[in-house]
Amino acid sequence: MTEAAPRLVARDRPELILGDHGLCPGCGEPVALRILLEVLEELGIVERSIGVVGHGCYGSFVQIMDVEVLQCLHGRAPSCATGIKRVRPAAVVFTMQGDGDMVNEGLQEVLHTAARGENVTCILLNNGVFGDTGGHQTATTVVGQRTKTSLDGRDPETHGYPIPVAELVASLAGVSYVARGAVSTAGGVARTKRMLRSAFEHQLAGDGFGLVEILTMCPTGWFVPAGSGPEYLSGSLEAAYPLGELPLRGQP
Amino acid sequence: MRDEVIITGIGGQGIQLMAKTLALAATRGGQHAMLTSDVGGEMRGGPSQASVVVDDEGLRALPILPSTGSVVVMHHKHSAFALGRLVPGGLALVNSSVADPAAIRDAEVIAVPALEIARAANAPNAAGFVMLGAYATLRRIVGVAALGDAMRELVPPYRAQHVAANLRALDAGAGTVLAA
Amino acid sequence: MTTATTRQLLDGCSAITESAIAAGCRFFAGYPISPFTGLLESMSRRLPEAGGHCLNAESEIEAVNMALGAAAAGARAATGSCGQGLALMQEAIAELALNELPLVIFNMARNQQDYFQATRGGGWGDYRTLTLAPKDVPEAVEHTQLLFHLADRYRAPVMLYGDPFIAQTHVSVDVAARDLGPLPAKDWALDGSTGGTGRSRQIWTWAMGKATEPGPGPDGHWRAVAAKFDGIAAMEARSETYRADDAETLVVAFGSAALFVEHVVDELRADGHRVGLFRPVTLWPFPADDLAAATRNARRVLVFELNAGQMLDDVRQFTHDRAAVHFIGGVSIHASGLSFGPLLDVAPIRERILEAAE
Repeated sequence: MTEAAPRLVARDRPELILGDHGLCPGCGEPVALRILLEVLEELGIVERSIGVVGHGCYGSFVQIMDVEVLQCLHGRAPSCATGIKRVRPAAVVFTMQGDGDMVNEGLQEVLHTAARGENVTCILLNNGVFGDTGGHQTATTVVGQRTKTSLDGRDPETHGYPIPVAELVASLAGVSYVARGAVSTAGGVARTKRMLRSAFEHQLAGDGFGLVEILTMCPTGWFVPAGSGPEYLSGSLEAAYPLGELPLRGQP
Repeated sequence: MRDEVIITGIGGQGIQLMAKTLALAATRGGQHAMLTSDVGGEMRGGPSQASVVVDDEGLRALPILPSTGSVVVMHHKHSAFALGRLVPGGLALVNSSVADPAAIRDAEVIAVPALEIARAANAPNAAGFVMLGAYATLRRIVGVAALGDAMRELVPPYRAQHVAANLRALDAGAGTVLAA
Repeated sequence: MTTATTRQLLDGCSAITESAIAAGCRFFAGYPISPFTGLLESMSRRLPEAGGHCLNAESEIEAVNMALGAAAAGARAATGSCGQGLALMQEAIAELALNELPLVIFNMARNQQDYFQATRGGGWGDYRTLTLAPKDVPEAVEHTQLLFHLADRYRAPVMLYGDPFIAQTHVSVDVAARDLGPLPAKDWALDGSTGGTGRSRQIWTWAMGKATEPGPGPDGHWRAVAAKFDGIAAMEARSETYRADDAETLVVAFGSAALFVEHVVDELRADGHRVGLFRPVTLWPFPADDLAAATRNARRVLVFELNAGQMLDDVRQFTHDRAAVHFIGGVSIHASGLSFGPLLDVAPIRERILEAAE
């Protein structure tokens, strides 16, 4: 049975996006970018916003997002965001990082920044794979997922277990909002956008650290056809990483 | 006028506080001072040494003094370095309650029974300030009042109860020299 | 009661802190490590009083990246460590250089073994780190303000090479703010304000710009940055000589080592020896032309540094006559591992100079 060919549903690009992205068909990251920029616009904070963007396929977004950005070292975005926010408390500071960036290289940065209660919003684009380098295992690759460094699928015996960074962050005092969404369905996109909005509202209120994890499709890194990304995501990442706003367990 | 001194002793004798008090008093009085410290790793009983150079404008001094005009010996242990740097005929002010003045050669040796003097002044833990009062008066670097002010500045709030005793010790040390 | 004076008795770290605050430093992040810890402590006490922020970061890598962020947002910022901690910061130093961000980095080193690290750098790419090596606390106070000025002037990370004596010696100092001249406004600094204008600011080592306004890209940008460092090299080399004009024997030393050599030069001159000192004040750019001129008439050029021979390479490269260069320094470490050993002392230095002069 052949699947339906992808069809262009709408050409509706926010003004804050300055050009086409060059990412793979079926990639979820551009969707995340779009809803992020929509939220900044809706909240009227574009002229106060400063983004700190890590390294991954999404790194190229620094060329097409009409928001001030610092492109930083792999994993270090939360630390850079800390410095920016401390000296410019009126700015709205966010990070954009992939799972390789935040949960591999930068695990201590995000945990320390969260525990310090820095009033910034970290955004994790989690597709369970190092897409930019060609599809390698990360700390969030789920058990059974095939990557170029876990060819037969992640096996706990050899590769250990994935790290649910949102749950770790939610366990720390100093944190005001943690949520996990997915951009694999229209409903998911809408719910994720609301999560982003809540996170930024908490930053505007000065409540402390916020993290929004967004499960995104990476059909290339998952070795599935472009249109099968959402289905694969539901069956694999979503099963390992439950969606929704996480209860905050940290006691100050 | 330039004055150099190496104060040597063991940890716990207040060497560093003595040295800093002297350097601070000189600074507050409009002179220039340089203070370097060398402490061993142990919390008690290891070597403790400090050098203080006081001069007018244009003080030039090395953090490790190649030679010194004076030494204050609080304890015989670990004193070899300081005594080795003393110029021939230089001043060695010795805490004779603990260290043997007779063991020091080729120097103008002045014995000060600092522990006894401190006890007599009802400041049994302030032998170091007895020696400091004696030294500063002997060398005419700064007065006892200036030392007292500097000491007050340096003693942390949780040790404030020692200030009065320290002042008595400084006075007693100065008095020993003036009486001699 | 003595009259009040603005002169204070300060240890080097505290004096550097006052100088940095006088220069307008308002952000500092660091990780405790001896003998840098005193600087973190004094910044922690004094920066908030001055309206700034001091963070005891959870790691050196985090510290330097926090400072990078603060610098990107336009603040005068600083960090530091000793060589062991700076080893972790190398990537970020390169990033700062290629991002063209100003930052002052205090290497409160344990000895002189970090010369290569400072002057060659351990990060990636074609960048250099302007490094000043004061010989004592008063000079460190001067250099601190100069470094904040130079960092902003050139939009680059710059370094102060300190050591345990500079960190811990107490001296009477008057820390006054110095006016080092006007600087261009930091219109490149991020504050959010250009968001949505189509020309929003971007700080990126690859400098590819926005889709609507492409930048020079890595090729153009990295060549421009390399050229900028060539320009700095031509303008900012600094050195001093001491009794070197008619010297038969010229000793080359930097930092605290030079302070000791000065004293030995005086002693040996009094004994009739024609000895002088050449002191690089910038380690990078190395004062090559000055050294060539100073060594033109010297019979021998003796390099004294507390390491296995690092500045030695630069001296050999730029001395008028390479065959005249001899190494009289060495690795010499205090029993604690944290400071200079017995070689940094007048008697052994004097001995080595005399030995080499025979």
